[in-house]
Amino acid sequence: MMEPLGWGIAALILYVAAEVFSIMHLRSDAKVHSTLATVLLLLGFLVHLAALQIAARVTHAVPYRDLAASMSFFAWMVAASYGVLLLRHREGSTGPFLIPIAILFLGASLVANPQHLAGADPKLSGPIFAFHVTMAILGYASLSLSFVLAQLYLIQNRQLRRRQLGLLFSRLPALDVLSSIHRTSVALGVAALTIASVLGLIWAKQNWGTYWDPKVLFTFLIIAIYMLTLFPRRIGWGGKRVAFVSIGGFMLLMFSYTIVNLFITQEHVFR
Amino acid sequence: MSALVESPLLLVGWDYRQTPVELRERLAFPPDKVREALNAMRHEGLLAEGVIISTCNRSEIYGVRGVAMGDRDPFDAVTEFIARFHGIPQLEVDSSGYRYSGGEAVRHLLRVASGLESMALGEDQIIGQVREAFRLASGAGATRSVLHRLFQKALETGKRVRSETGLSTKPISIPGVAMELAQKIYEDITPRKFLILGAGETAGIFFDLLVARGAKNIEVANRTLARSEELCRRAGKALPWEDLATRLPHADIVVSATASTTPVITLETARQAMALRRGKPLFFLDLGIPRNVDPRISELDNAFLYAVDDLQEIAERNRQERQKEIGPALEILEEELQEFVSWFGALAVVPTVTALRKKFESIRETDFDRQLEKMAHIAEGDREKIRLMAQSMVRSLLRHPTEAIKEEPDPGRRLDRAEAVRHLFALDVEAKD
Repeated sequence: MMEPLGWGIAALILYVAAEVFSIMHLRSDAKVHSTLATVLLLLGFLVHLAALQIAARVTHAVPYRDLAASMSFFAWMVAASYGVLLLRHREGSTGPFLIPIAILFLGASLVANPQHLAGADPKLSGPIFAFHVTMAILGYASLSLSFVLAQLYLIQNRQLRRRQLGLLFSRLPALDVLSSIHRTSVALGVAALTIASVLGLIWAKQNWGTYWDPKVLFTFLIIAIYMLTLFPRRIGWGGKRVAFVSIGGFMLLMFSYTIVNLFITQEHVFR
Repeated sequence: MSALVESPLLLVGWDYRQTPVELRERLAFPPDKVREALNAMRHEGLLAEGVIISTCNRSEIYGVRGVAMGDRDPFDAVTEFIARFHGIPQLEVDSSGYRYSGGEAVRHLLRVASGLESMALGEDQIIGQVREAFRLASGAGATRSVLHRLFQKALETGKRVRSETGLSTKPISIPGVAMELAQKIYEDITPRKFLILGAGETAGIFFDLLVARGAKNIEVANRTLARSEELCRRAGKALPWEDLATRLPHADIVVSATASTTPVITLETARQAMALRRGKPLFFLDLGIPRNVDPRISELDNAFLYAVDDLQEIAERNRQERQKEIGPALEILEEELQEFVSWFGALAVVPTVTALRKKFESIRETDFDRQLEKMAHIAEGDREKIRLMAQSMVRSLLRHPTEAIKEEPDPGRRLDRAEAVRHLFALDVEAKD
C-alpha cells in the first residue's frame, strides 16, 4: 500500500490541476473548465481523505498531534468548505482565490513530512476531544475562506465605486452574490467553532475539573464578532463594513491561534 | 478561391455605409415581400436559389444564377428586378450598393453573420436576422443545396466568432453598459425594485429594456403624472412626483432621465434614503444632461452612482476592446470560408464528373478485373475481350449522368445534380482518402 506521503502528493497534484482549470475558467468563462475544476477538486478531496485515513490508522486519532499533520487536515477541511460553497452557490469564479489555501497548507505539510506518532496521551484520544479538534479545524478553514471572500468583495466594491473596471470586474460575481457566499462560509465557520467550543468545555470539565481556559474567552469573542456579520440588515451594516469586520475577526482568530496558544494558555500547543 | 471566380453565386446589397437611409427604407423587404420577390425572381429564371436579408441597416440579395440569365450581366439583371419590384428608378438603385460574386459574396455573408459589418461592431441581433432570412427563404422553397449549405455555414461562423472571441462580450451601448453594471451589484435584476425618474425618450428606452429583461417591479415618477401613466400602460406603476422621496428608500436601482436643470435627487434626500435602507446597496444611473443626481452621492456608503459620461467612457473602452478582437474573428472566418469554398469548388462540373468516373473505374478494376484474373479456365484471349466489354459497359453507364450534369443549362440545377451525384456515390468520402 502507498504511504500517506504518496497519497498526499497525489492530492496536491489534483488540487493544483483544479486550480489551473479554475484560472482557465476565470479567463475564458467556458463551462467545461469549471466542470473539470470541480471534478479534479473532488478527486483531490477523496485522495486527500485516503491519505488522512492511512495516517489516522497508524496514530488511531484525528491528525492533530504534530503541526505538519494538522496542516494537512486543515487543507482538507478547506477543500471541504469550498465544496460546500460550490454546492450551495454554484459559483466557481472564486475558486482561483480559495483553492490556493488548500494547496499552500497541504504543500507545507508535505514539506514538513509529518511523523504520525502513535501512542500519545490517552486523555487526548477520546471521541469528545477528537470531535473538538475536528470542528475547530473546520471552523478555521471556513473562516479562512471568509477572509479571502471578504477581500474579493472589497476589490469588487472598490472597482465599482471608483469606476475602474479591470479584468477582475467582469469575472468576479456580483456584490450580492459575493455577500451571500461570504455569509455561507461565515455561518459554517461560526457553527463549527461553536460546536468545538462547547465540546472543548465539556472535555475541560471532565479532565481538568474546570471550564476555564483563556482561549475560551477569545473564541467566544470571535464568534460574537462573526455573528454580527450574519445579520447586517438588523444593525444597518453595508457589505463593505461586513467585509471589514470579517477581516478583523480573522485577524483576531489568527492572534488566538498563535499568540494565545503560545503565551497565554499552555493547553493548545501542538506538540 | 479560383473555383469561385466564374461563380454562379452572387450578392447584390445596400447597407448603411453607402446608402442613405431614405433609399434603404425604400429598398427594404417586409417578410411577405421577401417571399414575393424570391418567387418572382425564380419564376423569371433570374435566380435558381435566393435569400433576402432585410434589416434597417441593410438589404442584401444572395442568389445562385438562374437559367434565364444567359449572357446578361447577372448583377444588372438582379438590380433591374429590384428597381422594378420596389418602383424605384434604376439610376437611383444603381447609385450605391455593392456587388460580389463567388468567394467574395461568401466572405461578405460570413462577415455580416459575425457582426463585423454591423454599425455596432459585434452586435448580436444580426445573427437572428440572418437566421430569420434563411428561414423565410427556405419556407418559400427558394433555397437548395448551395444556399442551404452557405447559410448553415454563416450561422455556424457567427456562433463560433461570438463564443471564441470577445467581439460580442462587452456591451458598447449606454443601456447595455448600465445593465452590466447593475448586474454587478445585483446579479439577478428581475426581482429588483426599479425607480425611473422622467417619462421622456431615454426613460422610455430604459423602461422597455427593463420590461424586456423581465424586471417585475418598476415605478415611474414624472412631474406630469399623465406622461408616466402613459408609459406604464403595459407594466409598472406610475407615481406622483411628490412621492419621490418616500419611494426612494425602497428602490434598488434608480434610473434618472429628466430634463430638470437642477438635481432632482439631492445629497440630503439620498442620505435619508440610504439610512433607511440599512446597508442595502442603491445604484443610481444618472442619464440626465445636466446631471439629475448630486455627484456627491457617490461618496455615500453603499451608494453607487454612474452618470452618462461614465457610461460613455466604459462603452468607448469596450468598443476599443472589440476592435482588438477583429483579428481573431477574421481567423475563424477564413477557416470557415475555406471549408465552404472547397466544398463548393468540388461541386463544379469537371471535378464531379472526374470523381464519378474514377469511382466507377476503381470498382471495375478492383471488383471485376481481379475476379477475372482468378478464373484460370477462361482463355487469355477471351479474358481480354471480357475486360473490354466491361470498360465499354462502364462508359455506357456513365454517359447519361455525365451529360445530365454537363449539359444542364440552369446553373442552380446543375449544382443540385452535382450535389446529388456526389452524395449518391459518396464522392466526397472518396476524395478525402
